[in-house]
Amino acid sequence: MSRLALSLALLLCSVAPSPAFGQGAASVPPRTPDGHPDLQGIWQVLNTAAWDIQDHGASLGVPAGRGVVDGNEIPYLPAALQKKQQNFANRHELDPETKCFLPGIPRITYMPFPFQIVQSRNEVTILYEYLHTVRHIFLRGEHPPGPIEWWMGDSRGRWDGDTLVVDVRHFNAETWFDRAGNHHSEALHVVERYTRTGLDHMRYDVTIEDPKTFTRPWKMSMSLYRRQEPQIDLLEYECFAYKFEAEWKK
Amino acid sequence: MEKVGVLAAVLVVGLSVPAGSQTYGQLAGCSDEPQQFHQCARAKAKEFNPPRTPDGRPDFRGYWTRAGVFGTDNVEEHGPALGDPGGKSLVVDPPDGRIPYQPWAAAAKAGYEHSHMDPAALCYLPGSPKQLYTAGVNQILQTAGAVIFLNDFTHAYRVIPTDGRPRPAPNVRLFMGSSRGRWEGNTLVVEVTNQNAKTWFDHVGNFFSDAVHVVERWTLVGPDAIHFEARIDDPKVYTRPWTMAFGLRRNPDANYEMWENACHEGNVLRWPATDLTRHLQLYFGATPPK
Repeated sequence: MSRLALSLALLLCSVAPSPAFGQGAASVPPRTPDGHPDLQGIWQVLNTAAWDIQDHGASLGVPAGRGVVDGNEIPYLPAALQKKQQNFANRHELDPETKCFLPGIPRITYMPFPFQIVQSRNEVTILYEYLHTVRHIFLRGEHPPGPIEWWMGDSRGRWDGDTLVVDVRHFNAETWFDRAGNHHSEALHVVERYTRTGLDHMRYDVTIEDPKTFTRPWKMSMSLYRRQEPQIDLLEYECFAYKFEAEWKK
Repeated sequence: MEKVGVLAAVLVVGLSVPAGSQTYGQLAGCSDEPQQFHQCARAKAKEFNPPRTPDGRPDFRGYWTRAGVFGTDNVEEHGPALGDPGGKSLVVDPPDGRIPYQPWAAAAKAGYEHSHMDPAALCYLPGSPKQLYTAGVNQILQTAGAVIFLNDFTHAYRVIPTDGRPRPAPNVRLFMGSSRGRWEGNTLVVEVTNQNAKTWFDHVGNFFSDAVHVVERWTLVGPDAIHFEARIDDPKVYTRPWTMAFGLRRNPDANYEMWENACHEGNVLRWPATDLTRHLQLYFGATPPK
């Protein structure tokens, strides 16, 4: 019997890890029943873009970090650069995060909170722990005709090979890209690309276009990491409710 | 008169009418009146064989809205109120349709409406079971290990793992609580704990404490009908557990899309407040006697 148990254990060993080790690149990405890459799971970044999307040194409460902007330069128009500098100087009062607004895209992706991706036939849904924010990325249909000003914009997705490409329009001008005052107008157009590069990794590339704020389109890119803890759960951060309570007690 | 400002705010969010031009699906031939639906749906559940997801579970996916509930003014039987045409009690047990409050709690409930701002008017998330009878079109998603219920109002969502993963510790307090689901035949049974109890069941202050334990049962009873019931146990507030039940009706519009409903957009509490709201307090949860 012990020999049988041993051979069973060996058999299990040889079968179970195959998606990770046995098949190599052929098993990445895993796929949903309809053949698209399976992006489902709970994901989070490991970077400091929430504080500043560009290279930055440390200060009280701010960890130093390499930026996520390609080339580290953001091509502001002159007036927009001046506004960025004013935003930075007054960031503790002006940052929309301090007002508990929905944080916009792509900022919500690299805030220090997990988010869960769920795939259905007609949409990819992203549930963010921060403020219970929800994005419905519709895989069919066009952007509704504007003008519409939404905090999180209107997301339309399509598959480009194994990459989920999401076109986002119809933003308001109220959100920032980070706590350093990087900003945009309501003409913002975001294109996100989600590419699963391993069982626990995803590449996240973003193109930012806003002719009222920037001289040309520019890009960010970073890695998303899958949260693997067996007890991982989206909890909640209901910013404005905590703010009401803090203000009431004053 | 103090209530008007708060109620006006609720009116705006409470009247969102399901979009899409198609007629809503039938409630499995049952009346939408909660008591009658509850009896009828339990009989239908014995006969109905629901469609299945690829992993063989009953398929709840789609867009749904409350049936037989026309407002969230009062979960007990009530007449017309601002933003609510009136309706029957959602309470099916006890049979008198009344929440079995302990004496201190009945007195507290009677006061809340006149002394506190309605948490819903502040965009607080609805918790359980209110999430299921909140206005508007709601969406159910299913994955291999979870059922997810999304509200239009306040973009509230609740992920209900069905894979047995452990709950957070009791000190973790959440507006939406912590849900764990399991399948009993064709019924999804969801136990909800860890609620922070900072919301009410309705606008008139029907409430629960942080000791509340909710057991929800979701059953498809027809192609376009869900029977929902919630057994609500809270030994700090009620004399015994009680049960709420009502239906959910499918929105069959294949092209329906849920759009942004931000709710909190810089709303500010002002002190001293306006004449209309100056007497109202922020609700921090019930304070049962020691």
